[in-house]
Amino acid sequence: MKAKFLYISIFLLTFFSSSVFSQKEKVKGYRIEGDEIVFTFDKRDYEKVTDERSQRRMDFDDFDIRNVVVSGEFNFWSRDAWKMNKVNENIYELRKKVADFKDNFEWQFKFVINNNFWAEPSDKMANITPATEKGKPLHTYNLRFIQAYPDENGNANFSLKGYPNAKKVILAGTFNKWDERLFEMTKTEDGWRLILQLKPEVHQYKFIVDGHWITDPSNPNKIQNEYGGYNSIKEVRTEVEFYLYDYLDANKIILAGDFNDWSEKDCQMVRTKKGWTQTLRLTGGKYHYKYIVDGQWILDPHNTVKEYDGKGHINSVKMVR
Amino acid sequence: MRYFLFVYCLFITSVVFCNNDKRLYDDAFYFTKAEIIDENTTRIPFKLVDRLIVIEGVHNDKKGLFIIDTGSEKLLLNKVHFSHLISRNNRIENTTGVIDFVDDPVEKRIQQLLFQGLSVNDKRSNIIDMSHIEKSKKIKILGIIGYDVLKDYEVFIDMYLNQITLSKIDKHGEKLGSQRYLEKVVDSIDFKLKNHTIVIEGNINGKNLTFGLDTGAEFNQLNTKLPNKVLQSFYPKERIKLLGASDSSIEVIFGLLYRVKLSETVYFGPMKTILTNLNSMNEAFGTKLDGILGHDFFAQKRAIINYKKEKIYFINFPTIR
Repeated sequence: MKAKFLYISIFLLTFFSSSVFSQKEKVKGYRIEGDEIVFTFDKRDYEKVTDERSQRRMDFDDFDIRNVVVSGEFNFWSRDAWKMNKVNENIYELRKKVADFKDNFEWQFKFVINNNFWAEPSDKMANITPATEKGKPLHTYNLRFIQAYPDENGNANFSLKGYPNAKKVILAGTFNKWDERLFEMTKTEDGWRLILQLKPEVHQYKFIVDGHWITDPSNPNKIQNEYGGYNSIKEVRTEVEFYLYDYLDANKIILAGDFNDWSEKDCQMVRTKKGWTQTLRLTGGKYHYKYIVDGQWILDPHNTVKEYDGKGHINSVKMVR
Repeated sequence: MRYFLFVYCLFITSVVFCNNDKRLYDDAFYFTKAEIIDENTTRIPFKLVDRLIVIEGVHNDKKGLFIIDTGSEKLLLNKVHFSHLISRNNRIENTTGVIDFVDDPVEKRIQQLLFQGLSVNDKRSNIIDMSHIEKSKKIKILGIIGYDVLKDYEVFIDMYLNQITLSKIDKHGEKLGSQRYLEKVVDSIDFKLKNHTIVIEGNINGKNLTFGLDTGAEFNQLNTKLPNKVLQSFYPKERIKLLGASDSSIEVIFGLLYRVKLSETVYFGPMKTILTNLNSMNEAFGTKLDGILGHDFFAQKRAIINYKKEKIYFINFPTIR
């Protein structure tokens, strides 16, 4: 593959480029659906392609599409490995599990047509990043995605009241490696706002108001950071189902764990056809739990993951990611 | 050796120290998230920063992260945060391990590392500049915990529960205390300790090879000088450039390594691997290696390392029902 497209630095892999991931333009090339990333190539989004062999820039209409391939850092820029499925005349898609992309914080990619022609993203796309070699611009773009992304229906709402005269407010945090450009907030009637889709974790964040870093004044939940200042805390939760098979003769089953301080009454399970269920909203991390079946504490018989606590008891363990 | 600056980022591991009321030394390191299981066992949750294992630590109210690195011989401290520990009489000429390529290491004796309940006393550390890792990973790194600290424990590196369990062992390597592993140990392999390096005999395509095991290696490495029969199992995807903290760069081949077998029953799925000349790195490891197994080894196997017995035990990833 062309070196100029492929310039990858392990060291710089997690650095963001100078482009701004503006919410005013549209993110192209992928969307997230549940636990899947759907790579989407819509030929109407592209006007130019580059011939791999001749390096010649051509108009998109000059040839027939036989196949489209997703090529990026995740598959080492292979031009044939990740072949997309044709959805209709214009659109090709490929679905992958988001969990498969955990290694890196950010991934760059492009689409290859007929295993030879690189579809060139336009500067109207929100998620472009300049392709560079040795830090020098190559006058072409790669697309990119990160696991955190702006989404009106996202699970993490960030807002900052006031600051009507600010020119720019950026949201930076552990979810984007404190990037100072990526997430620009949108001005509202009474302040600034941005909704992100984030992994269920305890995230730390700050606002950057015209270059000045501030904690979220409306959020009392803060933690001291390693520089002596404070970061605001956002706990993102997800639904986690606990399911106990069988025990259909039981009258009452309680779910107790470190998530509810081992309460023996708070969390009653609901009977189903095959067992008992309860769904909690938890943030990412490790949880110890047990079931209390008519007063009798038991481990989850279908969960092989068990641990001692600090008092010599054995508990079942669930990981939330 | 300059080029090993960037390889250096591939060889990092971390340690967790904890709060302990019995502060015995002013220069003690504490691993704040460590959890006492019994008098002989401590669990330390870790995070993955890209592909590095890091734990939270505190020194004199200074918070930061330690990288867990079985590839490092000694405890390493970051000069960026510990320059005050450097005095004229502790400058040294040579170090061993991957830090060979560090220009100006300084040795300092650390009186105590405190994991919750466990303490490691009187360890030599080297003070080196890790600013380039901090810059690339965007995290504050206090240091790197290596063999010298880990060797006195049985070390369970669990990429499912994202934690390291340290268990005290007797002089024969037997785990102290009555608490066993609650999940089934399903397999094991032997290794040889050569200097500080865990050396595993394995094979690819029937050809016997010697691997080093290194939690700090973000990607596996395979020596370019190996016979074709071995390299047939390496599926190159791309030439990439690796950058160091300076402008120096080196081009390596990135790809997937298939058919790695460590015994009749212990084998691996494809692992992300860099094909590179390991001859110089072999000097750092103090032994001749054909390859290095890093992050992907632990991502595919929940592994318990016993340095005294020179054995690695495996526990299965759970099947989620």
